[in-house]
Amino acid sequence: MDWQGQKLSEHLMQYLLLGSAIIAFLAGYLTSSYSTMLCTYLVGVIVTFLVTVPDWPFYNRKPLHWLEPMYADMPSTRQINKSKQQPPPSSGKK
Amino acid sequence: MHSFMFRANAVLTFGVTVLALLCCLASVSDNLHHAKPSVDLQILRLESFQRLPNGNDEVKLVLNITADLQSLFTWNTKQLFVFVAAEYATPKNVLNQISLWDTIVERKENATIAQLTRNKYSFVDQGNNLRGLNFNLTMYWNVMPLTGAMYTGKTVVPGLRLPQQYR
Repeated sequence: MDWQGQKLSEHLMQYLLLGSAIIAFLAGYLTSSYSTMLCTYLVGVIVTFLVTVPDWPFYNRKPLHWLEPMYADMPSTRQINKSKQQPPPSSGKK
Repeated sequence: MHSFMFRANAVLTFGVTVLALLCCLASVSDNLHHAKPSVDLQILRLESFQRLPNGNDEVKLVLNITADLQSLFTWNTKQLFVFVAAEYATPKNVLNQISLWDTIVERKENATIAQLTRNKYSFVDQGNNLRGLNFNLTMYWNVMPLTGAMYTGKTVVPGLRLPQQYR
């Protein structure tokens, strides 16, 4: 997930859980059944889990931009400076 | 929110916290409920009125207990514990309460009580004060909710009297 996706996931989790709690309370109160309230809320928790927790593609719409990788066999700045001070060893100088 | 387990933990923890709040709300909703139970308690006859070998009085009664307690049930009620007690004062004790009969009601349909029965538990005094005694019969109910604290109500039938002589 990217940063925007993480924010979206957290907000969605909070609103979905509170929303399913309100719907569950109304469903239970109007049908006078405590078990209706608990079952409705459990369904709401499962839905929230499935929407919020896995890494869906819509959480990755603004991907992070990482720098280009640097490899170990490219000469570093220190190596280039060092070779400027010492003349390069020559073979066969007459 | 940067890993599967982190988000799963957040959902489940917040979910359980909200569930606790939901149960509190259900308990509070009980205060909106007004109950109108109706109760009638009668003593049909006195079967025996004796003095026990240890010096205490004992009465055996036949009770007619009718009650409609269906309105006490809400969506948040687990069960009712109903009992009938005889209450009176003696020189030794300011209040004597003797439970004569009880029952547990778990479903609203079974909350209509119509019992013609001897007293389930012995009506024995601490002493021999029962001759000519004025007493009340009271039906108490303890309402036990699914979530929340238990509360009690009662109906008093006053003005009953035991005879002056043993039978």
